[in-house]
Amino acid sequence: MLLSLKILSELADLNGLDPNEIALKLTMATAEIDGIKYVNPHLNTVISAKIENVMPHPDADKLTLVDLDTGKEKVRVVCGAPNNKKGDIVALATVGTKFGEEFVIKESKIRGEKSSGMLCSEKELGFSDDHSGIMILPPDTGLGVKLSELFPSYYAIQFDIDNKSITHRPDLWGHVGFAREIAALFGRKFNYKINYDIQKTFRNTDDLKINIQNPESCARYCGLVVKNIKIKESPEWLKEKIISIGIRPISNIVDITNYIMAELGEPMHAFDRKKLAGNEITVRMAKKGEKLKTLDEQMRDLTEDDILITDKNGPVALAGIMGGDNSDIEDTTTEIILEAANFNPVRIRKTAQRLNLRTDAAARFEKALDPEMCPAAIIRCYELIKELIPEAEAATEIIDNYPEKAEKITVNTSSAFLKKKIGDNIDDNRIFEILESLDFKFKRGEELNIVVPSYRATRDISIPEDIVEEVGRIFGYDNITPKPPYVPCVPPEKNEKRLFERRIKNILAKDHHLTEIANYSFVNEDILKRAGTTDDKELRLLNPLSREQDRLRRSLMPGIFTNIELNQRFHESFKIFELGRVYLKDDRKSKELAKEITFAAGAVFAKNTKDPLFYTAKNIAADLISQLNVKNIRYIPAQKDLPPYAHPGRSMFISIDGNTSGLIFEPHPKIKSNFGIKGEAAIFEINIDTLLKCSKQELSFIELQKFPEVPFDVSVLADKHVYTAEIQSVIEKSSREFIKSVELTSVYEGQPVPEGMKSVSFTIVFSAKNATLSPEQIDDLQKKVVSSLDKKGYKLR
Amino acid sequence: MKEKLETILNKTINEIKNSESIEELESIRINVLGRKGELTLILRSLGQMPAEERSALGKRSNEIKTEIESAIEEKKDKLSSSKIDHILKSDWIDVTLNRADFAKSFKPGHIHPIYTMQYEIEDIFSSMGFQILDGPEVETEYYNFEALNIPGHHPARDMQDTFWTEDYNLLRTHTSAIQVRGMEKNKPPFRVIGPGRVFRNEAVDAGHSNTFYQIEGMMVDRDISVAHLIFFMKSLLKEIFKREVKIRLRPGYFPFVEPGFELDINCLICEGRGCSVCKQSGWVELLPCGLVHPNVLRYGNIDPEEWNGFAFGLGLDRLVMMKYTINDIRHFHDGDIRFLDQF
Repeated sequence: MLLSLKILSELADLNGLDPNEIALKLTMATAEIDGIKYVNPHLNTVISAKIENVMPHPDADKLTLVDLDTGKEKVRVVCGAPNNKKGDIVALATVGTKFGEEFVIKESKIRGEKSSGMLCSEKELGFSDDHSGIMILPPDTGLGVKLSELFPSYYAIQFDIDNKSITHRPDLWGHVGFAREIAALFGRKFNYKINYDIQKTFRNTDDLKINIQNPESCARYCGLVVKNIKIKESPEWLKEKIISIGIRPISNIVDITNYIMAELGEPMHAFDRKKLAGNEITVRMAKKGEKLKTLDEQMRDLTEDDILITDKNGPVALAGIMGGDNSDIEDTTTEIILEAANFNPVRIRKTAQRLNLRTDAAARFEKALDPEMCPAAIIRCYELIKELIPEAEAATEIIDNYPEKAEKITVNTSSAFLKKKIGDNIDDNRIFEILESLDFKFKRGEELNIVVPSYRATRDISIPEDIVEEVGRIFGYDNITPKPPYVPCVPPEKNEKRLFERRIKNILAKDHHLTEIANYSFVNEDILKRAGTTDDKELRLLNPLSREQDRLRRSLMPGIFTNIELNQRFHESFKIFELGRVYLKDDRKSKELAKEITFAAGAVFAKNTKDPLFYTAKNIAADLISQLNVKNIRYIPAQKDLPPYAHPGRSMFISIDGNTSGLIFEPHPKIKSNFGIKGEAAIFEINIDTLLKCSKQELSFIELQKFPEVPFDVSVLADKHVYTAEIQSVIEKSSREFIKSVELTSVYEGQPVPEGMKSVSFTIVFSAKNATLSPEQIDDLQKKVVSSLDKKGYKLR
Repeated sequence: MKEKLETILNKTINEIKNSESIEELESIRINVLGRKGELTLILRSLGQMPAEERSALGKRSNEIKTEIESAIEEKKDKLSSSKIDHILKSDWIDVTLNRADFAKSFKPGHIHPIYTMQYEIEDIFSSMGFQILDGPEVETEYYNFEALNIPGHHPARDMQDTFWTEDYNLLRTHTSAIQVRGMEKNKPPFRVIGPGRVFRNEAVDAGHSNTFYQIEGMMVDRDISVAHLIFFMKSLLKEIFKREVKIRLRPGYFPFVEPGFELDINCLICEGRGCSVCKQSGWVELLPCGLVHPNVLRYGNIDPEEWNGFAFGLGLDRLVMMKYTINDIRHFHDGDIRFLDQF
């Protein structure tokens, strides 16, 4: 919202206040000022001056030396204009005047002659495109007067208010509210008064009635019929005023109602009296299927939640949002009805949202306006109409239907409470002064029963905490001394999951040199398709920003594939991981919240590699799991039931406590080609929630081996596709009690091993806990190994 | 006899000088000083000498023995140290390489800069007695809005553009959604923070993202004041930036606090002189905060007559961007390790 400093100055005494200071104080105590806008700021340092003498420049034909009188001093400038004439009053840009960011008037020498300013053309001043010569001011112009005062309409200072910061302040949606606020902040006088006495001149010659069917939707409705209206253009001063706050002039009556909204903050409407059928305005809820063509010529479909202004024949306006096309002011209008009402903020907001019609009026009504503004707005409006159209005359008294009287709000609190909340370095007198400056009514004392002014009583101020804010913001939060609280000193309960996540990240980043990535939680149809996922179970957004990000991920994998796709362009090899949530729903539309599961996923990539990267990924995952002391962990070769992105010949399930909780894999060749992955990649993903909750290996001491260990080497011939782990498990099971370890020492294919076979060698270590193994025992153990292998069909080499 | 002794000495010293290994030295020693060595034999025969010669010869023999022994020791030292020298020389490697096979040098891993910041702040708050909470990212309207004193159709809903899900829940727009969940779980007094990912339905550009990170904080106790809030915020910022930071508090409207503030910090890029980061104002808006609104306490089943508190929300992205002068928020989620490896 734009505020004009000039309008504010008419409402409160702001004389001599620096706009920057006003903006800073408002920011620190009231609302956020997005910026100060200056229109033609140079007019503040350009002054009127009289030409006393014109002399030729000794060193340049086209230049002259001009002596000027500013009323205070004599100034000489070098001038190139053809029309400077002794006795004329002209516009002198004094030293320091800035035209835009670049051009600054400086004390200078032009061809050897001193020049202390510049005489301005209309173009330079920003008044017109005329650059033929300097501007000549009327001969009766005083000397040394700022052009900003001589031509106030060309000079403006605007404050740009951040609307979000006044969401809770219905009183600040017009200049009056801000003027009142600034007056309180600077201890200045607030000059705005409504001339209620003017009502005494109103005579009832029209018998218009106002009927409110549903007081909940409309707490107050004030109407006034005004006759002898002549529609024409507004005078310059009114046009300038509304232009200066960004409103386009239309015609006198429309401009006045718009201006009153900007001044007071009360949205108004004017109907053409003669277009209204009957003598009664009825405020009611719309009926199902009812329609109204609004001023913007859109046909609106209405519902039973919309408030309507109607005449005998039907709707004439969408209450609080926009007038109807059938009752608006036209050039031929001679009689009008002024409307200033107070509508239910929630209903206005709902209707405006549904119709996507967030007009300035709707934006104000939804904030819950002060009903006291209704008659005030009518009176201010009438005053302006009289000023513009002297023959205009009220044809009714103010018809004031006010079924839901606003309650007076009194907040009961105490200065002790206020001090307790703010801090202890504010004293009672300061508290009282502040509250009085803000128009709160109360008796000074320990207990405070504070009557809230009507313009702060709608939604805004109702509880003692609201008073804390009022006192605090004016006192200045910066004046509060920071203080540590007295609280018990106990260690906080730990967040085990967070610590666990941090441990995992440290292992992956610091021990295994993976770089952490944080992908968006969003995925899209294309990327899911490329990752081979087509079951369409992802929770969708109702209002996505784009199709690129229109649903929530169920897996970290699509993101990881995209990361590989991107980073392979810049690196020969890399290692990455992500730890993040996925969002799972069995039934996308069911009301309960999605299950959020945290996964860790890691990926290794290399353009060229000797050995399959699968083993690198597996080692990282296995080390992670072992560092986390997971107890019941199994790695199971996986060929079936794999997700579509996994290579069936290079995949392994991670099973924790008997449940599949992760996967180590190389991407399926199809997926690699879908993502344009040109190199080798291997990936692991683990469910972190399972990992956190699973049973952990408790550390406990095992007595060191006291009796000798006996090694035994075997080499086994096996089909090339047999898993080494299977052979190893056969050996381990041959005599669990005495086999201390089985270590793989080599896997060999090639001569003299027959084609399609491999030779797998192990070193087995036998030992007993409490005794030395006898030669017979050793012989027996060795035989058991061999026979167990033999039973499974594995021959020794 | 005397001449014989001198000959042995000269010959042996000469041999020692010319010897090239410890083994050779040992055989020289045995030849001269061993059980059947030349000098040993002479010493043994001294008993048969006439008494007047015996003492002079004996003295000289012992001198020669000592001389040879020390010459051998000396030479031994020399030989063994030159052997280590040889090992050291042959062991030389080019330590400027990283691997003998010239392969890529070791590349460390990195934790995402936002999480590094999050963990640092978690640690600061933990040290001040705050418990760390979590909450769902897909949240109910109740926890994200209603329980925070933002009823349906309240204009304050406009302040946060919301992503709605097809099951009529939403992506939490702020970590404040963790507040009421925290109150349901904890009996006052308590101090909690809730870090996490939040979402806004906003077009993405260099300064805005639809995904960002906040840390919610809340302290509920008896008689909490604005002065306490300022104390905690100042302590926090001092820890984060490792120096005193100038702050200012101005009114800010958030329905879940009353009074509510915006906390600005003096721009760290320009030290408050005005620059593009702070839009020439010298101040950067950093965190909204305030005293918890009594209605919010009621939603959390806490009696506002007995308890009160403060709450704040800290934006992590902005902090990280300020700390490392990162100019584009999109880097955080682009997944480009050329960016991530810098932190």
